[in-house]
Amino acid sequence: MKVVVVPSALALLPEYAGLADPVADLRAACEQAVGWLVDGGAPRVTLLVSARQPADERRGVDEPAGTRIARHLLRGRGVAEVDELRVSRLPHPALPGAVPERLLVVANGSATRSERAPGHLDERSHAFDATLGRALAAGDPAALTGVDAGLGEELWCRDVPVLHRLGELVGGRTVRAEVDYDDDPFGVQYWVARWSCGS
Amino acid sequence: MTLRLGRHEFDDDATLMMAIVNRTPDSFYDRGSTWAEDAAFDRVAQVVDQGAEIVDIGGIKAAPGVEIDVAEERRRVVDFVARVRSTYPDLVISVDTWRAEVGRAVCAEGADVLNDAWGGADPELVGAAAEHGAGLICTHTGGVTPRTRPFRIEYADVVASAIADTTAYAERAVAAGVARDSVVIDPAHDFGKNTFHSLEVTRRLDEMVATGWPVLVSLSNKDFVGETLDLPVGERLTGTLAATAVCALAGARIYRVHEVVETRQVVDMVRSIAGLRPPARAIRGLA
Repeated sequence: MKVVVVPSALALLPEYAGLADPVADLRAACEQAVGWLVDGGAPRVTLLVSARQPADERRGVDEPAGTRIARHLLRGRGVAEVDELRVSRLPHPALPGAVPERLLVVANGSATRSERAPGHLDERSHAFDATLGRALAAGDPAALTGVDAGLGEELWCRDVPVLHRLGELVGGRTVRAEVDYDDDPFGVQYWVARWSCGS
Repeated sequence: MTLRLGRHEFDDDATLMMAIVNRTPDSFYDRGSTWAEDAAFDRVAQVVDQGAEIVDIGGIKAAPGVEIDVAEERRRVVDFVARVRSTYPDLVISVDTWRAEVGRAVCAEGADVLNDAWGGADPELVGAAAEHGAGLICTHTGGVTPRTRPFRIEYADVVASAIADTTAYAERAVAAGVARDSVVIDPAHDFGKNTFHSLEVTRRLDEMVATGWPVLVSLSNKDFVGETLDLPVGERLTGTLAATAVCALAGARIYRVHEVVETRQVVDMVRSIAGLRPPARAIRGLA
Protein backbone atom coordinates (compact mmCIF):
# COMPACT_ATOMS: atom_id res chain seq x y z
CA MET A 1 0.00 0.00 0.00
CA LYS A 2 1.36 3.41 -0.96
CA VAL A 3 0.09 6.70 0.45
CA VAL A 4 0.83 10.28 -0.57
CA VAL A 5 -0.39 13.30 1.39
CA VAL A 6 -0.60 16.70 -0.32
CA PRO A 7 -2.22 19.93 0.96
CA SER A 8 -5.65 21.20 -0.10
CA ALA A 9 -4.30 24.54 -1.34
CA LEU A 10 -6.39 26.05 -4.15
CA ALA A 11 -3.21 27.69 -5.46
CA LEU A 12 -2.27 24.26 -6.88
CA LEU A 13 -5.18 24.40 -9.34
CA PRO A 14 -4.61 25.71 -12.89
CA GLU A 15 -7.64 28.01 -12.80
CA TYR A 16 -5.88 30.04 -10.07
CA ALA A 17 -2.55 30.34 -11.86
CA GLY A 18 -0.88 33.75 -11.98
CA LEU A 19 2.14 34.81 -14.02
CA ALA A 20 4.37 33.73 -11.13
CA ASP A 21 3.77 30.55 -9.12
CA PRO A 22 3.65 31.38 -5.40
CA VAL A 23 3.73 27.66 -4.52
CA ALA A 24 6.38 26.46 -6.98
CA ASP A 25 8.35 24.43 -4.43
CA LEU A 26 5.21 22.88 -3.02
CA ARG A 27 3.94 22.02 -6.49
CA ALA A 28 7.23 20.35 -7.41
CA ALA A 29 7.13 18.25 -4.25
CA CYS A 30 3.51 17.25 -4.91
CA GLU A 31 4.23 16.24 -8.48
CA GLN A 32 7.27 14.22 -7.49
CA ALA A 33 5.35 12.43 -4.75
CA VAL A 34 2.41 11.64 -7.05
CA GLY A 35 4.88 10.34 -9.63
CA TRP A 36 6.19 7.94 -6.98
CA LEU A 37 2.60 6.92 -6.10
CA VAL A 38 1.63 5.91 -9.63
CA ASP A 39 5.10 4.74 -10.64
CA GLY A 40 4.62 5.10 -14.41
CA GLY A 41 1.02 3.89 -14.47
CA ALA A 42 -1.40 2.29 -12.06
CA PRO A 43 -4.71 0.43 -12.43
CA ARG A 44 -6.41 2.41 -9.68
CA VAL A 45 -5.81 5.31 -7.31
CA THR A 46 -8.18 6.14 -4.46
CA LEU A 47 -8.58 9.74 -3.41
CA LEU A 48 -9.16 10.60 0.25
CA VAL A 49 -10.50 14.16 0.49
CA SER A 50 -12.69 16.39 2.63
CA ALA A 51 -16.32 16.64 1.55
CA ARG A 52 -17.67 20.02 0.54
CA GLN A 53 -18.30 22.46 3.34
CA PRO A 54 -21.95 23.62 3.73
CA ALA A 55 -20.86 27.13 2.72
CA ASP A 56 -19.40 25.76 -0.54
CA GLU A 57 -22.69 24.03 -1.28
CA ARG A 58 -24.57 27.28 -0.69
CA ARG A 59 -22.25 29.03 -3.14
CA GLY A 60 -22.89 26.39 -5.78
CA VAL A 61 -19.49 24.68 -5.75
CA ASP A 62 -20.00 21.18 -7.20
CA GLU A 63 -16.85 19.28 -6.39
CA PRO A 64 -14.68 19.41 -3.28
CA ALA A 65 -11.40 21.24 -3.77
CA GLY A 66 -9.49 18.13 -2.70
CA THR A 67 -11.02 16.13 -5.56
CA ARG A 68 -10.02 18.74 -8.10
CA ILE A 69 -6.49 19.08 -6.70
CA ALA A 70 -5.95 15.32 -6.69
CA ARG A 71 -7.32 14.84 -10.23
CA HIS A 72 -5.17 17.71 -11.48
CA LEU A 73 -2.04 16.09 -10.03
CA LEU A 74 -2.99 12.71 -11.56
CA ARG A 75 -3.74 14.06 -15.02
CA GLY A 76 -1.72 12.45 -17.78
CA ARG A 77 -0.08 9.86 -15.50
CA GLY A 78 -1.73 6.78 -16.96
CA VAL A 79 -4.03 5.94 -14.06
CA ALA A 80 -6.81 3.69 -15.35
CA GLU A 81 -9.34 4.32 -12.61
CA VAL A 82 -9.76 6.93 -9.88
CA ASP A 83 -12.25 6.50 -7.09
CA GLU A 84 -12.89 8.59 -4.01
CA LEU A 85 -13.62 8.59 -0.34
CA ARG A 86 -15.10 11.96 0.71
CA VAL A 87 -14.95 12.54 4.42
CA SER A 88 -16.84 14.96 6.63
CA ARG A 89 -17.15 15.30 10.41
CA LEU A 90 -20.33 13.27 10.36
CA PRO A 91 -20.05 9.59 11.32
CA HIS A 92 -18.97 7.73 8.23
CA PRO A 93 -20.01 4.32 6.98
CA ALA A 94 -17.91 1.23 7.48
CA LEU A 95 -14.70 1.03 5.52
CA PRO A 96 -14.92 -0.62 2.10
CA GLY A 97 -13.96 -4.28 1.97
CA ALA A 98 -10.88 -3.85 -0.21
CA VAL A 99 -8.26 -1.52 1.23
CA PRO A 100 -6.90 0.82 -1.44
CA GLU A 101 -3.45 -0.03 -2.77
CA ARG A 102 -2.66 3.53 -3.81
CA LEU A 103 -4.09 6.37 -1.76
CA LEU A 104 -3.80 10.07 -2.61
CA VAL A 105 -4.75 12.08 0.48
CA VAL A 106 -5.49 15.80 0.26
CA ALA A 107 -5.12 17.40 3.68
CA ASN A 108 -3.10 20.00 5.56
CA GLY A 109 -2.69 21.53 8.98
CA SER A 110 -3.85 24.78 10.57
CA ALA A 111 -4.26 28.15 8.84
CA THR A 112 -3.70 30.26 11.97
CA ARG A 113 0.07 30.17 12.32
CA SER A 114 0.89 33.89 12.10
CA GLU A 115 -0.70 37.32 12.12
CA ARG A 116 -0.61 37.27 8.32
CA ALA A 117 -2.17 33.80 8.07
CA PRO A 118 -5.67 33.50 6.62
CA GLY A 119 -7.03 32.82 10.09
CA HIS A 120 -4.69 35.28 11.84
CA LEU A 121 -2.62 33.95 14.74
CA ASP A 122 -3.80 31.34 17.19
CA GLU A 123 -1.01 30.37 19.55
CA ARG A 124 -2.31 26.79 19.74
CA SER A 125 -1.51 26.19 16.06
CA HIS A 126 2.12 25.25 16.36
CA ALA A 127 1.60 22.49 18.91
CA PHE A 128 -1.40 21.18 16.95
CA ASP A 129 0.57 21.05 13.71
CA ALA A 130 3.61 19.56 15.44
CA THR A 131 1.46 16.63 16.56
CA LEU A 132 0.25 16.02 13.02
CA GLY A 133 3.72 16.53 11.59
CA ARG A 134 5.26 14.02 13.98
CA ALA A 135 2.63 11.43 13.09
CA LEU A 136 3.26 11.88 9.36
CA ALA A 137 7.04 11.79 9.76
CA ALA A 138 6.97 8.73 12.00
CA GLY A 139 4.45 6.86 9.89
CA ASP A 140 2.16 6.60 12.94
CA PRO A 141 -1.47 6.00 11.86
CA ALA A 142 -2.67 5.59 15.44
CA ALA A 143 -1.41 9.07 16.33
CA LEU A 144 -3.39 10.52 13.42
CA THR A 145 -6.63 9.00 14.66
CA GLY A 146 -6.16 10.68 18.05
CA VAL A 147 -5.98 14.29 16.78
CA ASP A 148 -8.79 16.57 17.99
CA ALA A 149 -11.00 17.50 15.02
CA GLY A 150 -12.80 20.19 17.02
CA LEU A 151 -9.55 21.94 17.82
CA GLY A 152 -8.62 21.60 14.16
CA GLU A 153 -11.79 23.45 13.13
CA GLU A 154 -10.95 26.26 15.57
CA LEU A 155 -7.52 26.49 13.94
CA TRP A 156 -9.02 26.61 10.42
CA CYS A 157 -7.94 23.01 9.68
CA ARG A 158 -10.92 21.16 8.19
CA ASP A 159 -8.98 18.05 7.21
CA VAL A 160 -8.61 16.20 10.51
CA PRO A 161 -11.44 13.77 9.63
CA VAL A 162 -9.52 12.92 6.45
CA LEU A 163 -6.39 12.19 8.49
CA HIS A 164 -8.43 10.13 10.94
CA ARG A 165 -9.66 8.08 8.00
CA LEU A 166 -6.11 7.68 6.72
CA GLY A 167 -5.11 6.33 10.12
CA GLU A 168 -7.99 3.83 10.03
CA LEU A 169 -7.19 2.67 6.50
CA VAL A 170 -3.51 2.06 7.24
CA GLY A 171 -4.43 0.45 10.54
CA GLY A 172 -1.73 -1.77 12.07
CA ARG A 173 0.56 -1.90 9.04
CA THR A 174 4.21 -1.02 9.42
CA VAL A 175 4.95 2.24 7.67
CA ARG A 176 8.11 3.61 6.12
CA ALA A 177 7.55 7.38 6.02
CA GLU A 178 9.21 10.24 4.12
CA VAL A 179 8.26 13.90 4.43
CA ASP A 180 9.34 15.74 1.29
CA TYR A 181 7.88 19.14 2.20
CA ASP A 182 7.09 20.71 5.59
CA ASP A 183 6.52 24.47 5.57
CA ASP A 184 4.02 27.26 6.12
CA PRO A 185 4.89 29.95 3.56
CA PHE A 186 1.50 31.67 3.97
CA GLY A 187 0.69 30.83 7.56
CA VAL A 188 -0.97 27.54 6.52
CA GLN A 189 0.83 24.30 7.44
CA TYR A 190 1.57 22.19 4.35
CA TRP A 191 3.12 18.72 4.19
CA VAL A 192 3.97 16.47 1.28
CA ALA A 193 4.48 13.02 2.72
CA ARG A 194 4.90 9.50 1.34
CA TRP A 195 4.09 6.31 3.22
CA SER A 196 5.02 2.82 2.11
CA CYS A 197 2.86 0.47 4.14
CA GLY A 198 3.70 -3.20 4.65
CA SER A 199 1.06 -5.89 5.20
CA MET B 1 -32.99 56.66 -10.16
CA THR B 2 -32.74 59.60 -7.77
CA LEU B 3 -30.49 58.70 -4.88
CA ARG B 4 -31.46 60.03 -1.47
CA LEU B 5 -28.78 59.86 1.22
CA GLY B 6 -30.05 61.39 4.46
CA ARG B 7 -31.02 64.97 3.77
CA HIS B 8 -29.42 65.01 0.29
CA GLU B 9 -30.78 64.06 -3.10
CA PHE B 10 -28.71 63.29 -6.16
CA ASP B 11 -29.89 63.03 -9.76
CA ASP B 12 -29.64 59.67 -11.41
CA ASP B 13 -26.79 60.73 -13.62
CA ALA B 14 -24.68 61.97 -10.70
CA THR B 15 -21.55 60.10 -9.69
CA LEU B 16 -20.34 60.59 -6.15
CA MET B 17 -16.96 60.45 -4.43
CA MET B 18 -17.03 58.84 -1.00
CA ALA B 19 -13.77 59.76 0.76
CA ILE B 20 -12.40 57.31 3.30
CA VAL B 21 -11.60 58.82 6.70
CA ASN B 22 -10.42 56.15 9.11
CA ARG B 23 -10.58 56.60 12.86
CA THR B 24 -8.19 53.72 13.37
CA PRO B 25 -4.53 53.41 14.33
CA ASP B 26 -3.89 50.56 11.93
CA SER B 27 -5.85 50.55 8.66
CA PHE B 28 -3.93 49.08 5.73
CA TYR B 29 -3.46 52.21 3.64
CA ASP B 30 -3.32 55.22 5.90
CA ARG B 31 -1.73 53.34 8.82
CA GLY B 32 -3.07 55.63 11.49
CA SER B 33 -2.50 58.94 9.76
CA THR B 34 -5.97 60.06 10.83
CA TRP B 35 -6.03 58.34 14.22
CA ALA B 36 -5.65 61.61 16.09
CA GLU B 37 -9.02 63.35 15.92
CA ASP B 38 -7.63 66.66 14.68
CA ALA B 39 -5.76 64.87 11.88
CA ALA B 40 -8.99 63.14 10.92
CA PHE B 41 -10.84 66.43 10.96
CA ASP B 42 -8.16 67.99 8.76
CA ARG B 43 -8.61 65.08 6.37
CA VAL B 44 -12.35 65.80 6.20
CA ALA B 45 -11.58 69.42 5.36
CA GLN B 46 -9.16 68.30 2.69
CA VAL B 47 -11.53 65.91 0.95
CA VAL B 48 -14.42 68.38 1.12
CA ASP B 49 -12.15 70.90 -0.53
CA GLN B 50 -11.33 68.28 -3.16
CA GLY B 51 -15.00 67.89 -3.95
CA ALA B 52 -16.00 64.71 -2.12
CA GLU B 53 -19.75 64.53 -1.72
CA ILE B 54 -19.55 61.90 1.03
CA VAL B 55 -17.11 61.06 3.81
CA ASP B 56 -17.03 57.47 5.08
CA ILE B 57 -15.89 57.34 8.68
CA GLY B 58 -14.72 53.98 9.98
CA GLY B 59 -13.57 52.94 13.44
CA ILE B 60 -12.31 49.38 12.84
CA LYS B 61 -9.84 48.11 10.28
CA ALA B 62 -11.10 45.35 8.01
CA ALA B 63 -8.21 42.95 8.66
CA PRO B 64 -8.07 40.67 11.71
CA GLY B 65 -6.41 41.95 14.85
CA VAL B 66 -7.15 43.20 18.31
CA GLU B 67 -10.84 42.96 19.10
CA ILE B 68 -12.57 46.37 19.07
CA ASP B 69 -15.74 46.14 21.09
CA VAL B 70 -18.85 48.28 20.69
CA ALA B 71 -17.78 50.76 23.36
CA GLU B 72 -14.41 51.36 21.76
CA GLU B 73 -15.91 51.64 18.28
CA ARG B 74 -18.40 54.19 19.58
CA ARG B 75 -15.62 56.11 21.27
CA ARG B 76 -13.76 56.32 17.97
CA VAL B 77 -16.60 57.51 15.75
CA VAL B 78 -19.66 58.94 17.52
CA ASP B 79 -18.30 62.27 18.78
CA PHE B 80 -16.31 62.67 15.58
CA VAL B 81 -19.48 62.33 13.52
CA ALA B 82 -21.09 65.02 15.67
CA ARG B 83 -18.12 67.30 15.13
CA VAL B 84 -18.14 66.80 11.36
CA ARG B 85 -21.90 67.29 11.20
CA SER B 86 -21.80 70.56 13.12
CA THR B 87 -19.03 71.92 10.87
CA TYR B 88 -20.34 70.59 7.55
CA PRO B 89 -24.14 70.64 7.64
CA ASP B 90 -24.41 69.82 3.94
CA LEU B 91 -21.88 67.00 3.75
CA VAL B 92 -23.18 63.44 3.42
CA ILE B 93 -21.74 61.50 6.35
CA SER B 94 -21.44 57.74 6.01
CA VAL B 95 -20.22 55.49 8.81
CA ASP B 96 -18.55 52.18 8.05
CA THR B 97 -19.97 49.80 10.65
CA TRP B 98 -21.69 46.44 10.73
CA ARG B 99 -23.11 46.98 14.22
CA ALA B 100 -26.66 48.22 14.79
CA GLU B 101 -25.77 49.77 18.16
CA VAL B 102 -23.05 51.90 16.57
CA GLY B 103 -25.37 52.66 13.66
CA ARG B 104 -28.03 54.06 15.97
CA ALA B 105 -25.51 56.16 17.86
CA VAL B 106 -23.96 57.77 14.78
CA CYS B 107 -27.32 58.39 13.14
CA ALA B 108 -28.41 60.20 16.30
CA GLU B 109 -25.43 62.53 15.76
CA GLY B 110 -26.28 63.20 12.13
CA ALA B 111 -24.90 60.37 10.02
CA ASP B 112 -26.78 59.98 6.74
CA VAL B 113 -25.63 56.54 5.60
CA LEU B 114 -24.63 53.27 7.21
CA ASN B 115 -22.01 51.46 5.15
CA ASP B 116 -22.16 47.80 6.13
CA ALA B 117 -18.92 46.34 4.77
CA TRP B 118 -19.72 42.89 6.21
CA GLY B 119 -22.83 41.96 4.30
CA GLY B 120 -25.50 42.04 7.00
CA ALA B 121 -23.57 40.38 9.83
CA ASP B 122 -25.82 42.20 12.32
CA PRO B 123 -29.39 41.69 11.10
CA GLU B 124 -30.56 44.62 13.26
CA LEU B 125 -28.61 47.20 11.25
CA VAL B 126 -31.48 47.67 8.79
CA GLY B 127 -33.67 48.72 11.72
CA ALA B 128 -31.13 51.29 12.82
CA ALA B 129 -31.06 52.81 9.33
CA ALA B 130 -34.85 52.76 9.03
CA GLU B 131 -35.43 54.42 12.41
CA HIS B 132 -33.27 57.39 11.47
CA GLY B 133 -34.13 57.73 7.78
CA ALA B 134 -30.57 56.84 6.87
CA GLY B 135 -29.32 55.20 3.71
CA LEU B 136 -27.73 51.77 3.68
CA ILE B 137 -24.90 50.25 1.65
CA CYS B 138 -25.55 46.51 1.18
CA THR B 139 -22.40 44.54 0.48
CA HIS B 140 -21.60 41.01 -0.68
CA THR B 141 -19.13 39.02 1.39
CA GLY B 142 -20.07 35.42 0.68
CA GLY B 143 -21.24 35.13 4.28
CA VAL B 144 -17.87 35.45 5.98
CA THR B 145 -17.47 36.57 9.60
CA PRO B 146 -16.45 40.24 10.06
CA ARG B 147 -12.71 40.88 10.09
CA THR B 148 -11.73 37.52 8.64
CA ARG B 149 -9.60 36.97 5.57
CA PRO B 150 -10.96 34.89 2.67
CA PHE B 151 -9.71 31.29 2.90
CA ARG B 152 -10.34 28.92 0.02
CA ILE B 153 -13.68 30.54 -0.78
CA GLU B 154 -15.14 29.50 -4.12
CA TYR B 155 -18.30 30.30 -6.03
CA ALA B 156 -20.09 28.67 -8.93
CA ASP B 157 -20.60 32.26 -10.14
CA VAL B 158 -19.31 35.06 -7.93
CA VAL B 159 -21.28 37.74 -9.75
CA ALA B 160 -24.53 35.80 -9.48
CA SER B 161 -23.81 35.35 -5.78
CA ALA B 162 -23.05 39.05 -5.35
CA ILE B 163 -26.25 40.06 -7.11
CA ALA B 164 -28.39 37.56 -5.21
CA ASP B 165 -26.99 38.50 -1.80
CA THR B 166 -26.88 42.27 -2.21
CA THR B 167 -30.34 42.55 -3.74
CA ALA B 168 -31.80 40.28 -1.06
CA TYR B 169 -30.18 42.48 1.58
CA ALA B 170 -31.51 45.57 -0.19
CA GLU B 171 -35.06 44.19 -0.21
CA ARG B 172 -34.74 43.28 3.46
CA ALA B 173 -33.71 46.86 4.18
CA VAL B 174 -36.72 48.23 2.30
CA ALA B 175 -39.02 45.81 4.10
CA ALA B 176 -37.61 47.10 7.41
CA GLY B 177 -38.44 50.67 6.45
CA VAL B 178 -35.33 52.02 4.73
CA ALA B 179 -36.41 54.20 1.81
CA ARG B 180 -35.97 52.36 -1.48
CA ASP B 181 -34.14 55.32 -3.01
CA SER B 182 -31.68 55.29 -0.10
CA VAL B 183 -30.34 51.78 -0.65
CA VAL B 184 -27.11 51.09 -2.50
CA ILE B 185 -25.45 47.77 -3.39
CA ASP B 186 -21.72 47.06 -3.38
CA PRO B 187 -19.95 43.91 -4.58
CA ALA B 188 -17.25 44.60 -1.94
CA HIS B 189 -14.08 43.78 -3.81
CA ASP B 190 -11.79 41.40 -1.89
CA PHE B 191 -14.29 40.78 0.93
CA GLY B 192 -14.89 37.03 0.86
CA LYS B 193 -13.20 37.04 -2.53
CA ASN B 194 -9.80 36.21 -3.96
CA THR B 195 -8.18 38.27 -6.73
CA PHE B 196 -9.83 36.23 -9.51
CA HIS B 197 -13.23 36.90 -7.97
CA SER B 198 -12.58 40.64 -7.62
CA LEU B 199 -11.39 40.88 -11.22
CA GLU B 200 -14.49 39.05 -12.42
CA VAL B 201 -16.78 41.28 -10.39
CA THR B 202 -15.10 44.28 -12.00
CA ARG B 203 -15.33 42.77 -15.49
CA ARG B 204 -19.05 42.02 -15.05
CA LEU B 205 -20.09 45.04 -12.98
CA ASP B 206 -22.62 45.94 -15.67
CA GLU B 207 -24.70 43.00 -14.45
CA MET B 208 -24.93 44.53 -10.97
CA VAL B 209 -25.81 47.91 -12.44
CA ALA B 210 -28.54 46.24 -14.53
CA THR B 211 -30.37 45.26 -11.32
CA GLY B 212 -31.45 48.90 -11.06
CA TRP B 213 -29.99 49.44 -7.59
CA PRO B 214 -27.31 52.14 -7.45
CA VAL B 215 -23.87 50.51 -7.27
CA LEU B 216 -20.96 51.57 -5.06
CA VAL B 217 -17.45 50.26 -5.68
CA SER B 218 -14.62 50.28 -3.17
CA LEU B 219 -11.44 49.53 -5.09
CA SER B 220 -8.89 51.83 -3.59
CA ASN B 221 -5.45 50.29 -3.20
CA LYS B 222 -6.89 46.84 -2.55
CA ASP B 223 -5.00 43.57 -2.70
CA PHE B 224 -6.61 42.48 -5.96
CA VAL B 225 -4.87 45.44 -7.58
CA GLY B 226 -1.65 44.58 -5.78
CA GLU B 227 -1.72 40.91 -6.81
CA THR B 228 -2.64 41.72 -10.40
CA LEU B 229 0.29 44.10 -10.84
CA ASP B 230 2.61 42.68 -8.16
CA LEU B 231 2.76 46.01 -6.35
CA PRO B 232 2.73 46.83 -2.63
CA VAL B 233 0.27 49.09 -0.85
CA GLY B 234 1.32 52.63 -1.69
CA GLU B 235 2.02 51.87 -5.36
CA ARG B 236 -1.44 50.81 -6.46
CA LEU B 237 -3.03 54.10 -7.58
CA THR B 238 -2.63 53.48 -11.31
CA GLY B 239 -4.13 50.00 -11.07
CA THR B 240 -6.92 51.32 -8.87
CA LEU B 241 -7.74 54.00 -11.43
CA ALA B 242 -7.78 51.42 -14.24
CA ALA B 243 -10.32 49.38 -12.32
CA THR B 244 -12.21 52.60 -11.59
CA ALA B 245 -12.45 53.38 -15.30
CA VAL B 246 -13.92 49.94 -16.00
CA CYS B 247 -16.46 50.38 -13.23
CA ALA B 248 -17.33 53.86 -14.44
CA LEU B 249 -17.96 52.54 -17.93
CA ALA B 250 -20.20 49.89 -16.42
CA GLY B 251 -22.24 52.53 -14.59
CA ALA B 252 -21.11 52.58 -10.96
CA ARG B 253 -22.58 55.56 -9.05
CA ILE B 254 -20.47 55.88 -5.89
CA TYR B 255 -16.70 55.45 -5.57
CA ARG B 256 -15.24 54.84 -2.13
CA VAL B 257 -11.69 56.18 -2.35
CA HIS B 258 -8.51 57.39 -0.71
CA GLU B 259 -7.67 59.67 -3.67
CA VAL B 260 -10.59 61.96 -4.47
CA VAL B 261 -9.09 64.21 -7.13
CA GLU B 262 -7.64 61.45 -9.29
CA THR B 263 -10.77 59.32 -9.08
CA ARG B 264 -13.06 62.22 -9.94
CA GLN B 265 -10.97 62.94 -13.03
CA VAL B 266 -11.07 59.33 -14.17
CA VAL B 267 -14.82 58.98 -13.65
CA ASP B 268 -15.58 62.27 -15.39
CA MET B 269 -13.29 61.39 -18.31
CA VAL B 270 -14.92 57.98 -18.73
CA ARG B 271 -18.42 59.39 -18.57
CA SER B 272 -17.57 61.98 -21.18
CA ILE B 273 -16.13 59.25 -23.41
CA ALA B 274 -19.37 57.34 -22.92
CA GLY B 275 -21.34 60.38 -24.02
CA LEU B 276 -22.94 60.83 -20.61
CA ARG B 277 -21.18 64.06 -19.64
CA PRO B 278 -20.28 67.01 -21.85
CA PRO B 279 -16.66 68.22 -21.77
CA ALA B 280 -16.00 70.81 -19.10
CA ARG B 281 -15.34 73.57 -21.65
CA ALA B 282 -14.93 73.11 -25.41
CA ILE B 283 -13.73 75.78 -27.88
CA ARG B 284 -10.89 74.09 -29.77
CA GLY B 285 -11.92 73.91 -33.42
CA LEU B 286 -15.18 75.56 -32.58
CA ALA B 287 -14.28 79.19 -32.54
